[in-house]
Amino acid sequence: MNRFVLSFVLIVASFSLVRADVPVEMDSLTAQATRTYAAGEYEQALALFDSVNTRYSSPSLLYNIGNCYFKLNDIPHAILFYERALRLAPGDADVKANLELARQSVVDRVNELPAFNLGSTWGKIRGGNDPDQWARRSLWACLLLFLALTTAVVVRLRILKRALFALSGLLFFATLLSVSFAAYRNSEVKDDSEAIVMTAKVDVRSEPRTNTTVLFVLHKGTKVIVLKTENQWSEVQLANGSVGWMPPSTIERI
Amino acid sequence: MSVVLRSTLLLLITLLGAHLGMAQEIGFSSSVDRNAIATGEYVKLTVSLSNSQEGFAAPSFGGLAVVQGPYENSSFNYVNGKMSSSVSKTWVLTATKAGKYTIAPAQVRVGGGVIQTEPITITVSQGAAKPADTGAAQGQSRDANLFATITLSKNKVYVGEQVVATYTLYSRYNNIELSKYELPKMDGFWAEEIDLGNTGWEDALQTVSGLQYRVAILKRQVLLPQQSGKLRIAPMELTCIVNRSFFNRGSSMNVSSNAAELTAMALPGSAPADYKGAVGELAMTVKTDRTSVMANEAIELTITYSGKGNLKLLDAPEPEFPTDFEVYDPKVTDRITVNSGGMSGSRTYQYLVIPRREGEYPLEPISFSYFDTRSGSYRTMTADPITVSVSPGVGGPSAGIQRPNKTEVEVLGKDIRYIRTGDLDLRPTGKHMFGSLEWIAGMGAPALAFLLFLGWRGKRDRDSQDVLGNRRKQADRVVRKRLAEAEKALQGSDRASFYDTLGKALHGYVADKFGLGPAETNATVITQRFAQHAGGEGLAAEYLKLMEACDMARYAPVEDRPREQLYNDAASLISRTEQTIRS
Repeated sequence: MNRFVLSFVLIVASFSLVRADVPVEMDSLTAQATRTYAAGEYEQALALFDSVNTRYSSPSLLYNIGNCYFKLNDIPHAILFYERALRLAPGDADVKANLELARQSVVDRVNELPAFNLGSTWGKIRGGNDPDQWARRSLWACLLLFLALTTAVVVRLRILKRALFALSGLLFFATLLSVSFAAYRNSEVKDDSEAIVMTAKVDVRSEPRTNTTVLFVLHKGTKVIVLKTENQWSEVQLANGSVGWMPPSTIERI
Repeated sequence: MSVVLRSTLLLLITLLGAHLGMAQEIGFSSSVDRNAIATGEYVKLTVSLSNSQEGFAAPSFGGLAVVQGPYENSSFNYVNGKMSSSVSKTWVLTATKAGKYTIAPAQVRVGGGVIQTEPITITVSQGAAKPADTGAAQGQSRDANLFATITLSKNKVYVGEQVVATYTLYSRYNNIELSKYELPKMDGFWAEEIDLGNTGWEDALQTVSGLQYRVAILKRQVLLPQQSGKLRIAPMELTCIVNRSFFNRGSSMNVSSNAAELTAMALPGSAPADYKGAVGELAMTVKTDRTSVMANEAIELTITYSGKGNLKLLDAPEPEFPTDFEVYDPKVTDRITVNSGGMSGSRTYQYLVIPRREGEYPLEPISFSYFDTRSGSYRTMTADPITVSVSPGVGGPSAGIQRPNKTEVEVLGKDIRYIRTGDLDLRPTGKHMFGSLEWIAGMGAPALAFLLFLGWRGKRDRDSQDVLGNRRKQADRVVRKRLAEAEKALQGSDRASFYDTLGKALHGYVADKFGLGPAETNATVITQRFAQHAGGEGLAAEYLKLMEACDMARYAPVEDRPREQLYNDAASLISRTEQTIRS
């Protein structure tokens, strides 16, 4: 019997371990940063938020840093941090609104290619503000699945047994689904191919070499996709499909 | 004489002439009003044909220039059944050079023959050095016989104050027709016409610089300057035809009046907050038809502005009503007269308001500010406060549905949204739940627990079916219990009980261990069962010896060894049996 107590403790422990604890001083740091921001001292607030961001991260923190940059009129960095926040929390309305506003001061207007759009359904189900949403759901689905199975094995009433087995089947699919969603979200979150142009103006060339044909000129704040980097040159792609080479020092990865 | 009348007459002449068949003698002549002129002066040439309908061409003027004409004139007489008619053409001629000029005879073809007039000689002398008046401008505004004026009632007014402009025509001609007149364009004024009724000559004559004139007021206007500074009213342009009669076409004269000037003073800058441009000598009255109503009953609020001033330019007042009042646009009634004294009368705004809920509603006091031209300062009138008391309507308090006017929220500026405060839900950077060790453990633990559960349950089920196995498993436990009892008896020096307990313990142990029934518990079977295990024979012999010793000691007072040793031997045997025979 001791073995069951042990496994129960193991499950509970694994759930609680996932919530990594954050030192208390970080909370006081963010509170201080919030106060300085409210007082209008954005530079100081930015420094404080940045000191938290060296080891810890969250959509809200990235959003706050983006706001500091926006208030300091550093639009490319504001866009960078809003994009980072949005990658962790794709459904965050505040981030979207501010990113929209920040993008208005970007010089380049790149017409996006009509890409295959998973549409609002995926937008809804991939999770609003919590990057770990599907991972957590998969844990619950798995736990419920085996609880249902265990109950089905124990129960003697035939109808109940059958119903519980059917439920277990559904839960099995739910588990599979949530694990695959979690895996997809994870790949999205870890994808760092996108980057923001940081310098005021940069020539995008046809070859990874200076004095080659300038294909187009990008300005700060524009989003590019980095295809590969070699010999101090990055091959980038714009949203409209144009491809060219630019120095990686002029961009920063989202 | 109108064209219609003239053509009717001609028709009559033709008809009558044809009917009567009595044509008069045809006459054809030309004449001038004078034979000698100076250069720049005019001579009038008239060619008349009587009692004939034939047309005639203009004669050669012999170098004289045509200033006006030809004017055609026709006349018709019918006396005692005898009809006579005449057609004449008139030219006004002039010469720019001195000399003798001969006007050639005019010719007309009548009844197969040609008749002609006499030639006329004109002598032109060198006139005074005044420029020749060419064109139609015979009369000028400088003409002492005919002139026009614009007069203003005041020359210095405030912006918005009324000025009456009068447009007057002075004439010494008896017969004068206004063919057209052009009023000046009003720049910087708001103009309101004064209705003069039928305009005509004044009864009294006026004397201007020694000459007597007939006077006609053509028009009066109330002018309200809309901007400060020097304002100019351009001259009025008139075209008159004077001395026109049945026989005379008259002559056309252009008259241009003086230009009027006015100084408009800006209003003082210290205007009250509610000042909306009213200027004059004004007053305001505020009335309500009732102040105590039931909900959903209408109240009429009347605001009247009266007096002398720019009433037509007043903006509607904006009385403030409680939000529980439904307010309709005001009905505006004007009783404004415009006469030579200016604009005066009253303007009334009627507001229909419907209180939708019961209660006491003190209305905001209605105030009105205007610029008083008499004192040259602003004045503010505030009406007496009005309190409307509304009692519940017929349908009770809920009958009224308050429906405030909805408006879009206006976007005044754009800024980013505010930062997140409070718990930022921090995580270590780069640490994601998916794929972490904890997540894998969390996914695996329920599965592991389930498998363990299944294993435990299966084993339990198997065990519950295996009675012999259970008995064998229990054997060790049971025998230990009995040995403990035996040890107790040993210490209590209870001899019979000791042997009895020990014997039962051994007997029961073997029976349990091999699953034997009561009938099978004999030496042969026991030896056989022990022999199935390696090293079991020795144990079987020892067991049988111990059992014999116990039986012996139970039924006879014979003890082949001390009790302690017997007990130890039994314990040792069981221990060794457990080791030798595993399950």
